[in-house]
Amino acid sequence: MKRFLSSVTDGSGFDIGLVLLPLAFLFVMSGLPLVYNVVMSFQEVDMFSLGSFARPFVGLKNYIDLFSQPETRPILLNTAIFVSASIAGQFLIGFGLALFFWVNFPGASWLRGLFLVSWVMPGLVVGAIWNWILSGDFGVLNFLLRETGAISGNIFWRSDPNYSLWAVIIANIWLGTSFNMILLSVGLSGIPKDLYEAAELDGANAFQRFWTITLPMMRSTIGAIIALGLIFTLQQFDLFAAITSGGPNNTSNVTQYWAWDLSFRQYDFAKGATISVIMIVFVMFASVVYVRSTRHEVRG
Amino acid sequence: MGISRYAMLGAFALASLSLPAFSASAEDVTISVWSLDRDIQPAPNLINDFNKLNTGIKVEYRQIQFDDVVSEAMRAYSTGQAPDIIAVDNPEHALFSSRGAFLDLTDMISKSSVVKPENYFPGPLASVTWDGKFYGIPKATNTIALYYNKDMFKAKGLDPSKPPQTWDELVKAARKLTDPAANVYGLTFSAKANEEGTFQFLPWAQMAGGGYDAINSDGAVKALDIWKTLIDEKLASPDTLTRGQWDSTGTFNSGNAAMAISGPWELDRMIQEAKFDWGVALLPVPEVGAERSSAMGDFNWAVFASTEHPVEAFKVLEYFVSQDNRMFKDFGQLPARSDIAIPPTGEPLKDAALKVFLEQLKYAKPRGPHPEWPKISKAIQDAIQAALTGQLSSKEALDQAAEKIKAVLG
Amino acid sequence: MSDTFRNRLMFAVALVLAAIYLFPLYWMYITALKTGSAMFATPPKFWPSEPQWGIYEYVWQSRNMGRYLWNSLVIAFGAVSLIAVLGVGCAYVLARYRNIWVDVGLFLILMLQVLPASLMVTPTFVGFSQFGLLDTPRLAVILAIAAKSMPFFVVLVRATFMSVPMELEEAALVDGNSRIGAFFNIVLPLARNGILVSAILIFMQAFGEFVYSKSMIQAVELQPASVGLNSFMGPNTNEWNNIMAYATIYVTPILAAFVLLQRRIVSGLTSGALK
Repeated sequence: MKRFLSSVTDGSGFDIGLVLLPLAFLFVMSGLPLVYNVVMSFQEVDMFSLGSFARPFVGLKNYIDLFSQPETRPILLNTAIFVSASIAGQFLIGFGLALFFWVNFPGASWLRGLFLVSWVMPGLVVGAIWNWILSGDFGVLNFLLRETGAISGNIFWRSDPNYSLWAVIIANIWLGTSFNMILLSVGLSGIPKDLYEAAELDGANAFQRFWTITLPMMRSTIGAIIALGLIFTLQQFDLFAAITSGGPNNTSNVTQYWAWDLSFRQYDFAKGATISVIMIVFVMFASVVYVRSTRHEVRG
Repeated sequence: MGISRYAMLGAFALASLSLPAFSASAEDVTISVWSLDRDIQPAPNLINDFNKLNTGIKVEYRQIQFDDVVSEAMRAYSTGQAPDIIAVDNPEHALFSSRGAFLDLTDMISKSSVVKPENYFPGPLASVTWDGKFYGIPKATNTIALYYNKDMFKAKGLDPSKPPQTWDELVKAARKLTDPAANVYGLTFSAKANEEGTFQFLPWAQMAGGGYDAINSDGAVKALDIWKTLIDEKLASPDTLTRGQWDSTGTFNSGNAAMAISGPWELDRMIQEAKFDWGVALLPVPEVGAERSSAMGDFNWAVFASTEHPVEAFKVLEYFVSQDNRMFKDFGQLPARSDIAIPPTGEPLKDAALKVFLEQLKYAKPRGPHPEWPKISKAIQDAIQAALTGQLSSKEALDQAAEKIKAVLG
Repeated sequence: MSDTFRNRLMFAVALVLAAIYLFPLYWMYITALKTGSAMFATPPKFWPSEPQWGIYEYVWQSRNMGRYLWNSLVIAFGAVSLIAVLGVGCAYVLARYRNIWVDVGLFLILMLQVLPASLMVTPTFVGFSQFGLLDTPRLAVILAIAAKSMPFFVVLVRATFMSVPMELEEAALVDGNSRIGAFFNIVLPLARNGILVSAILIFMQAFGEFVYSKSMIQAVELQPASVGLNSFMGPNTNEWNNIMAYATIYVTPILAAFVLLQRRIVSGLTSGALK
């Protein structure tokens, strides 16, 4: 007992305790619901049997049904486009802004603060605002594009099958830029200045310095941001609900919205759960990316 | 609506002042009620009044959102936390009654001196009926008709006293009224991929002899073709596909659409904000003399089978029913009953509109009732969207929907 | 190019970028002031012809917003405290070592937040109801949010701990501190800023949480402001101007705080007390 106590205060028991407690909490609070979803994807679920696990098992039937539905492939494709375009947009704009504000001009830090706006806005409100901005007839985006001569006729962002997914992507890039920018700013200011001074003495130009110092030093930050970005993007739900509801004709539908639609609009909980299992596979990939990126970390 | 809002505030103030006097005594039975009504709508106000009667029954109220009614109710029911009384949207009533989640009220209704089935419009009554028994009581009802901007009719040389009667006339009028230079569309409605789309489309199909169980009939195909014409010729905004009825009618109010298909819930906002002369007409029919039809909306009351106090819960419902004559005057909703004459409001536009809506209500048909209505509705929405985006022809899209619906109907 | 000219140019460019980025926010403010149908007008008006200033008072009064905001604060504070207590130690350990178990730990932590709240809410609700947690609904929501946001917190705080030099902790251990002593006396103070800032970020997210609160908190007296926003949306009605006015009241104070605090936020995440 004494050894146990001293291990807790002064040995590996201390570390294990610190990790296991939160992990246990997470397992109970998030792990069990996850398991519930996975189990449900192999069962026949009736809306009135939500409260128990005792439901008939149907093997892979839900998966087979799901993949025989004609909309499944386009929706998976949409999800891939949505995730990669959103992350690319958020990351590039966020990185650009972070680099821009990294140059310390007067007022930089104050103005940078303004870019964090989207972080504090509740998703519901962001969705409603973009719904207005992107409207075809009275939307202000079309109005501005028309006035500047960029387009001649209105683009129906929300209702044109060619644009609907991109309407949500635009809004999502706006939403995620602040998160990318702030974490990238943090990463940038963690790079020791003397590295740049040395490179400058060696005659490296700005581009070379970026390529040989900034990017390699940012590797772990970038890994973390992309992994977290992927998870946030896969959880993005409010924007779909507010802007397109997945329409028209599923052209802007993605897995997370579809799973909700199946579960809570059509009360097909088993299919909803089946989709969420597919999403788990996606995120597993993201987690591996993140964990690998931590290998390149430099201890300060 | 302003007056009733103040009256309500007054009632709240009174209730809070006199709270100690009415606090629940030990013998009081507590009945919980869930509905989507908010402060200016019936449920919370009626409950307030009921609690003041001090009947030994204390009612607690929870407001839930339209989108969440069914999922919240199912979650609560399957974990034993269901309320005693709930208001559900009429097409979803059968979902619960067919599974025995709602209490069979037939016996209590037959003994009741307040609730009489013969007083109700047939449509709403059918929606609470399952297998010949009553599993609820209609709470209110509504339907859709055609709003039109009389000033625009005059400006384009159309007779404002002769709104379009048939589909062809509607399309012709829409062509005349559409004016891209002035940002005006001929018509606005909703083909959104949710229940609203189904709600708006089914009446068209029914007027032409179709229906949810015959969704690919020639008439229904023709109806969808007309919708497609409206969208393709930009007589209605392409955003019709993603916009609900409320936002669509907003464009009518702001003068950016000359006609709108929507329901009586628009009246108060329109009277306040539309700066032009407008009227309401019955939904146009396929050809002169064709059968009329319309959508039937709004909610029903039901008692959960899990309630411990069925008698008291029914008493609360009886009280609600006894107040049906206040529905329009105080809350702007139409009672689902044919025996209540709605008194004029003194607002000429509103009174004229009301007459049309009451006439239209006679042709309103329930959606279903079918326990798997959401799936049927989804098939119809998918077909509408596939046809209007040009991915399938109307015929192909509706054939596909018919196939899916057949699988559901069994 | 002189430095002052460059600075001014940069400032001007930054202003333009900020204006573009903040446009949606401006649109929220302006829509709140429009009448119900004026917002549907084409072409859109950049300043309403009849601004409805009375709307803020109406929204505040009619929805009893003070109570809603108080509940939001309670929930956000509760969730952040719980996350901080559980997450800091976890992040510390995951930063201290570099082995396969740490990889597994990180992997699990990320994996466990895979599903959106809208899909987690049903199983969570069912579970909570079995344990009677729904009788204390705000606590239930705090627990759910904590589980949802903790992975993000751990990832951020872990990065902060990475910037605390290992030698300092080792020196403290050599001086006779126990592990606990070294953790509380040396490591924690050095990482304080980063922890605080991550907590602020989490706080702002928790302040706007919607899905769990909506289903778990049934009594209106206990609901947070995000749920209150919903009361302007009906089956056939969306009072957009009221929604936007409500959102303005809801968001503006946090926004102001955020802008004022942001210099500390960024520097806090980057530096321990050393720099």
